Amino acid sequence: MEQPSLEIKSVRKTYGDFVAVDDVTTAVPPGTVFGLLGPNGAGKTTTIRMVMDIIAPDSGEILLFGRPRRREDLERIGYLPEERGLYRKMTVTEHLAFLGELHGLRHRDAVERAERWLERLELADRAKSKVEELSKGMQQKIQLAGTVLHDPAVVILDEPFSGLDPINQGLFKDVLAEFKREGRTILFSTHVMEQAEKLCDHICLISHGRVVLQGDLAALKRERGGNSYRLVAEGDLATAEEVPGVAAAVPGIGEARLILEPDAVGSEVLRELTRRFAVSEFRSQEPDLEEIFIKAVRDAA
Amino acid sequence: MRLDKVRVLIKREYVSRVKTKGFWISTILVPGLFAALALLPALVMSKTTTGQHLVVVDETNSVAGALAERLGGPSDESAGGESTGGDMGRVHFQVTIEDPAGSAAERERQRERLGRRVLDEDIDAWVWITPEGLADDRVEYHAESVSNFLTQEVLEKALSQVVQRQRLTQAGFDPDRVSELTRSVDLQTVKVTEAGARAEAGFAGVALAYVLFFLLYMIIIIYGQQVMNGVLEEKSSRAVEIVISSVRPFELMMGKLIGVGLVGLTQLAVWLGTMAALTAPAVVASLSYMPEGVSMPRLEPSLALHFAVCFLLGYFLYASFYAAIGSAFNNIQEAQQFASVAVIFLVAPLVLFPAVVNDPNATWATVASLVPLFTPLLMMLRIAIQTPPLWQIVLGYSLTAVFVCFMVWLTSRIYRVGILMVGKKPTLKEIWRWVRYA
Repeated sequence: MEQPSLEIKSVRKTYGDFVAVDDVTTAVPPGTVFGLLGPNGAGKTTTIRMVMDIIAPDSGEILLFGRPRRREDLERIGYLPEERGLYRKMTVTEHLAFLGELHGLRHRDAVERAERWLERLELADRAKSKVEELSKGMQQKIQLAGTVLHDPAVVILDEPFSGLDPINQGLFKDVLAEFKREGRTILFSTHVMEQAEKLCDHICLISHGRVVLQGDLAALKRERGGNSYRLVAEGDLATAEEVPGVAAAVPGIGEARLILEPDAVGSEVLRELTRRFAVSEFRSQEPDLEEIFIKAVRDAA
Repeated sequence: MRLDKVRVLIKREYVSRVKTKGFWISTILVPGLFAALALLPALVMSKTTTGQHLVVVDETNSVAGALAERLGGPSDESAGGESTGGDMGRVHFQVTIEDPAGSAAERERQRERLGRRVLDEDIDAWVWITPEGLADDRVEYHAESVSNFLTQEVLEKALSQVVQRQRLTQAGFDPDRVSELTRSVDLQTVKVTEAGARAEAGFAGVALAYVLFFLLYMIIIIYGQQVMNGVLEEKSSRAVEIVISSVRPFELMMGKLIGVGLVGLTQLAVWLGTMAALTAPAVVASLSYMPEGVSMPRLEPSLALHFAVCFLLGYFLYASFYAAIGSAFNNIQEAQQFASVAVIFLVAPLVLFPAVVNDPNATWATVASLVPLFTPLLMMLRIAIQTPPLWQIVLGYSLTAVFVCFMVWLTSRIYRVGILMVGKKPTLKEIWRWVRYA
């Protein structure tokens, strides 16, 4: 395997009695989109802040580009924090130039790149506006531009889609896809599994500060497939859970997703199901990330 | 601390502040106010009419009568007569002539009595004419306020004329000698105080010290508060979250302190430059309406330099404190309570101000001016009034510089935790724990 862009080794962080991050170990392969997933309060932001050297871990190690992290290595990272804001009184171009210069760009380069990004994000006409005059969505686009202005090899985005309208979410996803094509490594955190499912190559699921599942998303799905079935039938499908061999039933409208016990046999379950419901469809299905996640958290507990 | 990063931070702070209208308004307004303060009294004084009750004691017994006549008409206390309503120019005089006491000791008591009457506001001033003084072209003038320029000017002129006339008479009106004899008399102003008469540093010097002291007090507070508000804004807008990934909290804090400090220095340069220009002798001379003998305070370059040094020391001392407060709290209301602690230390020199002006080299004033928290304001004041020994200045500056380093260290430890802390208002105990975090 190629040298990981980022490695987190046995990192732990506590606040008093509260363990925010508990022995997290993971590696982000270069050129991939890596999803750091977990419910709110799982320790995603704390982990990212430790990667960015904003807070120090109690123990553990962080490696960047194959060596213990050094401050200057952080220059090659673009970081979009979860709680983010801009200086309200600055103009858009000034602000972007400031962020670019902070990352070591010369003023002229920074302004040039800012202009290119404003063009790309359809904000060129607001270049001279003050930040406070922009809508929240526009400000988030500026923040994204500021994150990547210095052409970082690794982009770390903490909940990048929160608070974005669908149009801007689409724009952000396009930009991420573009980064991936350009060979950048992308790490982003989210608690929304559908987003991760569509974007990620690799995932790392954490819950209560612990890693519960991680790896290549496609492989994980293959491994955990076979136990998940789609049932289309009439009747109260929630009661399908009572069928022997069914671990869980997630009912929808006129259909349900059934997760079978590992040793259950599909045909036997179907026989029982047809006795209870008017079944029109029952077939094996790849699980979605949400199911995998819920199951993993359950197993870990 | 990486200087290239800090330079970018400084640039942002500086440019974004200097570009505001508020900066330019205050930059221009203050010198305007200063000019008004400095010039208005002179302007007003030259138009007011004041009634002055003057006692004249003439040992030579040759000038007093003529002077009284010149100022207000003949008067003799022994005859019970007082002349009033005399008008010399725009100043009304009421002149009383007292005979000098017989012996030297009695005369000394007479002088004390006259001084007392000035303090009791029974009379405004008294003039003592001695033969020796007259020969030297000097006449003593004693008053509670030695800053009443117009009165002094009028009196000086009158005295000169009277004395000249007398000399001309004695000289037998020899026209050839007139030019030689028409020398004017210098007023020797002596302030009457409870402690007795003593030499006066000069009204102009005190006025300048006064202006500089309050200017310094003001800008240390104003720029300290600006640092605090800047940190609060950075924190509440969450702009700090984005910046903190590229710079360390200490760099961010230093960038703000230096950036805002440079804005302060810029403003000071404009202010002091204007002041120096306004008080330059050539400019003062061109102000034709200024009464003769009025000296405008003059801002020496060395004094301006001391002022800048004291500003920087005081600014970094207090602004670092303000930065820590801004980082620890979530809004101005919370922060303001703690900010008042800084103001207490700044107000202390304000309370000491009159006493230091009165005796700038007293032991307690020396000691107080060597306490780092007070040095910027008090040393500045002492230098402006009467330059203290060099070792005291050097010691004061050095102690303060060391203390500033300590303050920056201490406050940066609070800052690095506080700046990323949101939520509830921290207690003092929690803040102290931040300081001790590794």
